[in-house]
Amino acid sequence: MSEEKGCFTVLSLFKSVKTTVLCLFSLLIIITMAIFFLISMDYTEKTILENSTDYTSRLVRQLNRDIDSYIDYMENISSMVIQGGDVQKYLFAEMPEEDMEEAYGRIVAQFNTIVETRQDISNIAVVAPDGKAIINGGRDRLNENVDLEEVEWYREAMQTTDSILTASHVQYVIRNNYKWVVTLGKGIKDSDTGENGGVFFIDLNYKLLKDLCENNSLAVNSYVFIVDKSGKIIYHPKQQLLYNGLTTERIDEVMGCGSDGYFITRDSGGKEGKLYTVSVSEKTGWRVVGVADISELMKNKEKTEYIYMFTSAILLCMAVVLATFFTTAITRPIKELKDSMKEVERGNLENTAVAIYSNNELGSLGNSFNLMTARIRELMAQNIYEQEEKRKSELKALRSQINPHFLYNTLDSIIWMAEGGRNREVVRMTSALAKLLRQSISNDNERIPLEKEVDYAGSYLTIQKMRYKDKLEYEIDVAEDIRKEEIINLILQPLVENSIYHGIKYKGSKGLIRIVGYGEGEKVILKVIDNGIGMDEKTLKGIFDISKKCEGKQGVGVHNVQTRISLYYGAGYGLHFESTLGEGTAAIITIPRNFREREE
Amino acid sequence: MRKHVKNVFLWVFAGVAVAAGVLLWRGGEGEEKGRRIIFIPKVIDEDNDFWKLLIEGVEMAAAENQMEVMIVAAETEDDYEAQNELIEWAIGEKPDAILLTPSSLTETTPYARKVVEHGIPLILIDSAIDEDIADTMIATDNVKLGEVEGSYMKQYATEESRIVIMGHVEGSSTAIERENGVRKGLGEYEDRIVEVVFCDSDYDKAYELMKELMEKYPDIDLVAGLNEYSAVGAARAIKAANRQDRIRIVGIDSSLEEIQFLEEGIFEIIVIQNPFKMGYLGVEAAEKILNGEKVLKKVDSGCELITNDSVYTEENQKLLFPFREE
Repeated sequence: MSEEKGCFTVLSLFKSVKTTVLCLFSLLIIITMAIFFLISMDYTEKTILENSTDYTSRLVRQLNRDIDSYIDYMENISSMVIQGGDVQKYLFAEMPEEDMEEAYGRIVAQFNTIVETRQDISNIAVVAPDGKAIINGGRDRLNENVDLEEVEWYREAMQTTDSILTASHVQYVIRNNYKWVVTLGKGIKDSDTGENGGVFFIDLNYKLLKDLCENNSLAVNSYVFIVDKSGKIIYHPKQQLLYNGLTTERIDEVMGCGSDGYFITRDSGGKEGKLYTVSVSEKTGWRVVGVADISELMKNKEKTEYIYMFTSAILLCMAVVLATFFTTAITRPIKELKDSMKEVERGNLENTAVAIYSNNELGSLGNSFNLMTARIRELMAQNIYEQEEKRKSELKALRSQINPHFLYNTLDSIIWMAEGGRNREVVRMTSALAKLLRQSISNDNERIPLEKEVDYAGSYLTIQKMRYKDKLEYEIDVAEDIRKEEIINLILQPLVENSIYHGIKYKGSKGLIRIVGYGEGEKVILKVIDNGIGMDEKTLKGIFDISKKCEGKQGVGVHNVQTRISLYYGAGYGLHFESTLGEGTAAIITIPRNFREREE
Repeated sequence: MRKHVKNVFLWVFAGVAVAAGVLLWRGGEGEEKGRRIIFIPKVIDEDNDFWKLLIEGVEMAAAENQMEVMIVAAETEDDYEAQNELIEWAIGEKPDAILLTPSSLTETTPYARKVVEHGIPLILIDSAIDEDIADTMIATDNVKLGEVEGSYMKQYATEESRIVIMGHVEGSSTAIERENGVRKGLGEYEDRIVEVVFCDSDYDKAYELMKELMEKYPDIDLVAGLNEYSAVGAARAIKAANRQDRIRIVGIDSSLEEIQFLEEGIFEIIVIQNPFKMGYLGVEAAEKILNGEKVLKKVDSGCELITNDSVYTEENQKLLFPFREE
């Protein structure tokens, strides 16, 4: 493009403006789209993650509330049992055996009802430090190898009036039991001493907790686990694996969450992250933790990614097609301008006007171009006119050169004849000269009828014949139909003069000069034929050069004639010679017939 | 010019094609593996916590790794011939891997070799064979297990001690190694071992043997049971004879009965293995081998000493009582 400047190297890569613009457009579109794509993906990912976090947080909070109400329900059961009064009676009251039996029976019946209706209760029991105990249906016994005072949750329950909750543990205070349970215990107040005199407890198995945790609507492959306020496991779907150290859980990070919150973990590969959502129960202090695979949450992301990619590709295709279309439309005037410019470069100034009908820079460029070519055309026409004028003035100058030269020669001859007393000859020559001069003077026009030019040459020949006496003979044979043809003047006479001085003069015998004229198609042929010494080929070739050198010395030379004919009539017309050494020379003029100039 | 436009289109379409290809390729990931493995323990005994837990470990790991597991075993622990038949059958089933607890150190070996010759990965669990041909072995370090018992007994051993070792299956790798461990642990009191008997993993036989031994050596003061059957059988005999105050017995493995004997103080200590972990790690090793990952030639699943006052510590609860959700 701009090789000289060399600054737009990128733009110079392409051959046309169209390609350049198209490529830059495409590049721009692709970059824009890529940026848009990346930003969208990033935003989508964030939004999805945010939504997922929100969603799981809500679910986990709900789950926590469900668990709270479950524990509430169990507390209600324990309150109901304790406040029934029978338990206190059985443990503390001094009663007859019968009443005791009755209270015992009622408690057992109540326990049986509860255990039968609740699949999630493993054990239900009342125990006292003195070894009194009612466990489940009354068949189970305390484990005699265990000192209740050493059991932590028992001690804790004895010390408070609130209910206590343990983490997952093995229930070993009941003989032959050893089940993994979560124990809810409550001290039983002895109204006499005002202190706790026994403990009522319910052992919860994992049926309901498991159901609650497993029937979550979190993503696929997600799970829920529960830890108590000190980070001990209440329930975990992989509890057995955890206990055997076969898997690990991020308890520390869960405990690090001050209250409800979430965190994202990456495994060692750094790829498969997990979303941990923690909800802390105010009631129990338990933390319910939902764990979901990020990749599962992000499943929609891939779909979105696909849609984005697909849309981008289609938009890209459309954009490129449109870009092609627009670029073509925008650059068409430039191409037109370029083509016109090429035409002008070749020299064709006609029909190069470009039609650009727009008001922009290209429009004004086109207008300027049109104005410019028009101006060039004008200038060229003017140039041609000026050239013509110049030629004319040159011709005039040339014509005025002839007269004194020839005049001198003729007058010299007249003097010479007058000295010889040849009066009649002097008269003839002088009259011929007078005729010659009169023709020359009277004829201001550049063009004259052919017959006048022939007469003029005839007058000249008359004078010359007298000068050379018997050495020169001449004949004039011009066809009638071309006699009125207008030709530029002074073309025959110089040729005749040339024949005399270069052909006849050196010939020993009598020379003959013939002037022949005839029409040939659209051309007029005029020949000046002599039978002088002729020319060899070399001389013939250089004849115009020689003539040019001798110009001025011998009047209007042949070169002059040739120049004038071709200047006036154009290339293709002019003068040429045919000659044979020793036999003579023919000067042949070819000019167009009926030639009319525009001016004058 | 036209050529350029064509190029642009070509690039765009190439881009779309590549993107589609990537998406398709990613969509093709994660198909079901559907691997099948066969586990042949020495015995399937619902009443024996060791085998029960070992099988639970295998099953849980198989479920975790989406494997299908088939478990077959002979009627009794010492029936290596029946087990060998099962190994041959298992080879015919063309599973992806075979997990095996060999009944005999020597007699199982030719069949184990057959497994390897058929190009099936072989994972030994709990017990060894006398040739190093298996891909890996997951087991308790049985010598160490015995040594823990032996070292404990050493504290109470004297020059006059009479020590009895109640073994389970004569010739089994575990029995041999544990016995060696006990001897190692006893140190200079090794020569106080008066008898080593084998109960063939039968409670009643162990009971009878112990009864006979107590008659034969009235002043027995230290007894080492080498597995659950032998330890519990011997403990029953001691309890029945009310000799628990004079005889210190140490056991291996745990069961409800064994734990209760420990609570009661009949057992001084028990040393427990982690059968659940063993089974789990065995399947995990199979998974790794099938995935072309490297595995260790031998993995120790560990053991733990439990005294009668540490039964209910938080950690020991986890080890002694398998967590079951019911």
